[in-house]
Amino acid sequence: MESPEVAHTLNNQKETIQPETVKGSSYRAGNHGHLGPVFRVVVMIAIGVAFVYPIIGLLVAPTRTQANMALGGIAFGTLANVKYAWSQVMGFDNGIYLEWFKNTVIMVGGGTLLAIAISIPSGYAMARLQFPKRQALLFLTLLLMVMPNTVLVIPLFLEVSTVHLLNSLWPVVIIFGFYPFGVYLSYIHYRTALPMELIEAARVDGLTELAIFFRIAVPLSRQVVALVGFFSFVAGWTNFFLPYVLLPQTQQSPLAVGLLQMISSSQLINPEEGLNVKLYMPELALASIVTMLPVLLVFIGAQRYLQRGAMIGAIKE
Amino acid sequence: MLDNSAQPGITSAKTPSKNGKSVQKRNRPPSKGALILVAPFVVVMALVGVLPAIYALVESFASPTGNGFTAILNYVTVITNFRFLASFANVGLLLVVWLPMMIIGVVGMALLVDATRGRFGRLMMFIYYIPGALAGMTNFMLWLLLIDPGVSPVNFLLRALGATSLDGILASSSNVIWILAAMLFFEGAGSWILIVYGGLNSISDEVLDAAKIDGCSTWTTIWHVKLPLIKPWIGYLALMNFAYGFQIFLEPQVLNEVAQGLISPQWSPNQLSYTYAYSVGNTGAAAALSIILLVITLAIAMVVVTRTGILEQS
Repeated sequence: MESPEVAHTLNNQKETIQPETVKGSSYRAGNHGHLGPVFRVVVMIAIGVAFVYPIIGLLVAPTRTQANMALGGIAFGTLANVKYAWSQVMGFDNGIYLEWFKNTVIMVGGGTLLAIAISIPSGYAMARLQFPKRQALLFLTLLLMVMPNTVLVIPLFLEVSTVHLLNSLWPVVIIFGFYPFGVYLSYIHYRTALPMELIEAARVDGLTELAIFFRIAVPLSRQVVALVGFFSFVAGWTNFFLPYVLLPQTQQSPLAVGLLQMISSSQLINPEEGLNVKLYMPELALASIVTMLPVLLVFIGAQRYLQRGAMIGAIKE
Repeated sequence: MLDNSAQPGITSAKTPSKNGKSVQKRNRPPSKGALILVAPFVVVMALVGVLPAIYALVESFASPTGNGFTAILNYVTVITNFRFLASFANVGLLLVVWLPMMIIGVVGMALLVDATRGRFGRLMMFIYYIPGALAGMTNFMLWLLLIDPGVSPVNFLLRALGATSLDGILASSSNVIWILAAMLFFEGAGSWILIVYGGLNSISDEVLDAAKIDGCSTWTTIWHVKLPLIKPWIGYLALMNFAYGFQIFLEPQVLNEVAQGLISPQWSPNQLSYTYAYSVGNTGAAAALSIILLVITLAIAMVVVTRTGILEQS
């Protein structure tokens, strides 16, 4: 069988029986003959097309002109159009787009580093050490993890405005640094992927708990650091509500909030808007595509860890 | 998207929930090291996760004039506001449309991928996941592109449905519901397919073989074996998305900017809360409404954590 490839798949246990499964289901379709699997494949491809077609439409939008887009469909225009669209994006409010980009990098970069620095040690302690109220802390972590973070935005606004810190970036960094899912990921990681024997051996050697964490657990944490980093980066980068509320000044906005500003200033919405630049669909599409590029880069960088991360589920004890 | 919903796909399938005690006994006495390691998390959790909730609770009982407490006056203000029920009705309708879409769509696609192992299945899984990467504003932009007949790559569909202008489409409140549902589905489905697929993957081969030997057809296997076995995942999917959907803010807020008055700026409860906090400056009312939302969300979260058995607690 195709064993070398099997080793790289997420669901390695079942992969090897793949030929039987496929044959079996067609056989079971009975009087339909091979209609079952064929039908399934057609449905799957149709859904795939429905998922990808709009995305391609968005990706090619900057290569087209507004007039060309009125024709509908998907067509690749020219790179000159992309260049023009970019000049319009850059011209909007004296290149504030770059300012938004910088704000986002500071907020999300800082938040992600903080999330990693906080999640890894606490996840380790909850998984491998004993301390008072450990169960309660774990329960609270799970509870906060499954609650959509939107629910705390207005309470956070009330808190932050009371201490007069609206429009300052660092409260947002700290809030992004609070990432219960990262703690949970670390917790699962250290429970499943770190051999207890290693820790026991280190204890026998007389290392303190802190020394064990820093000298044994941390060097074996690349995987979970990548996972926590990736998920918290994406969560922060795409977050809209929190910065929208905590950073009302345009100068402090991240990209997500800035895009809203571009949409509402666009001649697409207000044809009579007196802007110095032309913001139509190609320009808006380009601005939002460039906004997602860092996420794409981080995704590519973290990909091999993400695949292995999905395998954590396979390690059941 | 990749927000909290992406989570438990990565967790272990079986949940040994009641064995915490025996594990504890084997462990050693509390260590000072442990406290140092959890301290930063506990501090930030208190500051960002717990304190704001308590502060909002206190504020919700504070008098609007700033001196003393007024018991439930703020709650009365909020609940008797005509926008309050309307906003809950809006998200209620949205959930009625979107949740079944999500449950049937996600479970259906996960079953399809599960039935198609090998390279093709993996490729389709990856493709279904792609839209989930376009979260928030980019997803919104994509839908703005799709629904604007002036630029849409599917303008033939829009024309067939009789739509000629963006304003014309957004003027109908049922269209708005469908558009929001589509936006949420498009960005949410991918990671949930992965999670439900993880659930299907945890069904042991022996069970499936036994079903085959008993002569179950593909449909019988799905209906009587697979679906009952992944019930916890379906419950988890439903509850998490319920909690997420009724908190909706970004999509109606930005759609309101686009629609220029065709949609209420207080379409969802969170938008109403935002209006109280920002435009009206009624802190007490904003706090009261956010406490109402918090209580509902907390109740759902409790059920998710204690009942579905998806999340592993030691």
